[in-house]
Amino acid sequence: MKKKLELSDSYDYLRFLTKEKDISDQIINHSRSMITIINRDYIYEKANLTFCNAHQIVLDTILGKSLGDIWGHDTFQNAIKRNVDLCFTGKTVQYEATFMTPKLGKRHFEVVFRPLSVEPGKITHLLAETFDIDDLKNSKQAVIQKEEELRKFESNLPIGFLRCDPSGKILYANKAFLMIADCHDESSVTEMNFKNFYNEEELFEMQIDQLIGSHSKNFGRVNLKNSYGKEIPCRISGFLAVNESGIPAYVDFAVEDCSRELMLENRLLQAQKLETIGSLAGGIAHDFNNILATISGYSEMLQEDLPKESELSDKVGKIQLAVKKAQSITNQILTFSRHLEQEKVLINVAEVLKETIGFVRSSIPSNISLKSRIPRMNANVLADPTQLFRVFLNLMTNAIQAMEEDGGTLSVNIEVVEKEFVQHELNKDILADEYVLLTFKDTGEGMEPSLIGRIFEPFFTTREVGKGTGLGLSVIHGIITEMEGEILVSSKKKEGSVFLIYLPVSKNYYHNKVKKSTRKKILFITGNKYESRILSLALESAGYELIFISDGENFIRVMNNIRERPDMVIYMSDSKQINPDDLVEIFRNQKILTPCILITDPNQEVSEEKLLNSGIIYQQLTMPVSLKEIRNAIQELLR
Amino acid sequence: MAGVLIVEDDKELREMLKLSLLRRSFTVIEAENGRDAIAHFKPLITDLVVTDLIMPEEDGLKVVIKLRELKPSIKIIAISGGGKVGPGSYLNLAKALGADAIYSKPFSINDLIAKIEQLLDNEQLG
Repeated sequence: MKKKLELSDSYDYLRFLTKEKDISDQIINHSRSMITIINRDYIYEKANLTFCNAHQIVLDTILGKSLGDIWGHDTFQNAIKRNVDLCFTGKTVQYEATFMTPKLGKRHFEVVFRPLSVEPGKITHLLAETFDIDDLKNSKQAVIQKEEELRKFESNLPIGFLRCDPSGKILYANKAFLMIADCHDESSVTEMNFKNFYNEEELFEMQIDQLIGSHSKNFGRVNLKNSYGKEIPCRISGFLAVNESGIPAYVDFAVEDCSRELMLENRLLQAQKLETIGSLAGGIAHDFNNILATISGYSEMLQEDLPKESELSDKVGKIQLAVKKAQSITNQILTFSRHLEQEKVLINVAEVLKETIGFVRSSIPSNISLKSRIPRMNANVLADPTQLFRVFLNLMTNAIQAMEEDGGTLSVNIEVVEKEFVQHELNKDILADEYVLLTFKDTGEGMEPSLIGRIFEPFFTTREVGKGTGLGLSVIHGIITEMEGEILVSSKKKEGSVFLIYLPVSKNYYHNKVKKSTRKKILFITGNKYESRILSLALESAGYELIFISDGENFIRVMNNIRERPDMVIYMSDSKQINPDDLVEIFRNQKILTPCILITDPNQEVSEEKLLNSGIIYQQLTMPVSLKEIRNAIQELLR
Repeated sequence: MAGVLIVEDDKELREMLKLSLLRRSFTVIEAENGRDAIAHFKPLITDLVVTDLIMPEEDGLKVVIKLRELKPSIKIIAISGGGKVGPGSYLNLAKALGADAIYSKPFSINDLIAKIEQLLDNEQLG
């Protein structure tokens, strides 16, 4: 420009000026902005071509028109005038607004008013520049929307995403990661180092090294520690981004919590293992029963050949006792492997649980408290109540033993839960609409994690050798599985164990309905409140009517009353007030012909000879008896 | 004297059963699996059969069905050491298929023989 000023010819200079004005007019006219000059009376004094085109009018018609004429008087009063006035006070005003122009329609503009002064010291005009930012605005919005969507995407997915620098310093992390990390303060996450979530920092560094080689990689399962030091099994994959010079810039990690998946996998593995052990043990038990049958058969023949009450006969008796014991073990194995059929009746689990709790409460050590809440509920399941009693008793006894030394609390709960809940907890399709969920929780010594997976295996025991067969929990597992239920355990060393039992609620209301007039009457002679109550629950559910007595006097009274006379007598050997010999005497003296079932303890000796000679129609069963055994015996005797 | 067929794959157990029956003067016929029992069945001299249920070469359930078919009046006692098919036990299935009595192993041989005598007595009475 300066060079041009050197021109000496005034004509040339004028020409130059004219040309220069033309050029600037050109620039102004063709600017993409609408440019105008407005005076203090809000009248247009100049306007560029873009402005004219937008309003589809020629320049001459615009000049002399007011802002209100062009934009509409309302728009002028409400949206423009204030800003114009502000500009006339000497300020540059900038704002965004939506206006209508005849050519472009409704669009979004950025408006800039700059004060101009033609006379010194006075603002006489303003320069208005109006930029069409509609497209820009739209694309900006699109970007914001896109960003919003992406944010939603990564915050809704249950997978943790985080970006860190190659040293591990976290730059960004999504909600899911914060959940996995158990970090509740979103802002503090950028002060953390991802490296510290690893058990060994070397592993993080190794992963970065691998990413430098391959950029993205799936690292599979890695145990991470959350903010509280709890280990969380996670599936991790990473991506490394480099800058223009090829130097690592940042690393993105996807972290997926797979504890549930791992837990379910383990559970499935355990179930398969138990199934395998079950069929193996079942096969062995079956073969053993063959062998026991041979031993028992020969020893019975031997006993026949030997003089009664001889020393040799006693020894053979011991063999038979051993056979009985062995049989009880093979039976337990068969129950575990579900090779034994259970006789089932419709029964309210809550009732059985209540009885069992009552039984346990009477013998609980003083340093252990038993908390239970058994509401009235419709918790009918198909089960052998005597088996259920065994299950509950066993779990509670185990819990009490686990707390024997230091004391603690055993909490027992029962509730009915919905199908969906069970489906989620057990992660499998189930048929029943409702389940009974029983919880047995102790605050005892708990178990090592490595043992938890094995406790349902037969012969697995944490007790000293010689204390118990280690069959208890495996038998429980068999009984619950046979009922199409499920038993789960969780335990923490020093904190205690929790056993959960799910049993399908049976809607089969009519299962045990027996007409009252055809119901058989059974006289129950027993001393033990609880165990016999369970048996009676079972028999009542099976359709029998029961009368209870505990001593000989009442027995004679009932037997002599024609109205009360039962169809059958069941004698439990725990009746303290009347022993088997007394019973036999009463039967003989009173000439009672009612059939009788004697349920005796395995260690109790009942003289068979005496029984046979007494003329009593009887069957003898040994404890623990199942509902099936009793029913078979009843049917056999009533035939 | 009445003839009893013993179908049992366990040799020792079969011999024990045989000995105990011989002591009571029964005529004893033996078979070590279901196939032999059916193939060599002698209806004229067999009044009762004691059969195991889980055996190789045709199981005991087949024996129950087949022998009942060959001789409707035959008495059948099934014995088993446990085992299930579907929801029910083999023993209950055998009963449903027509066994007159069932015993799970190990059983009392005296009980079994008393049962055999009872079934055959009823037979004679009938």
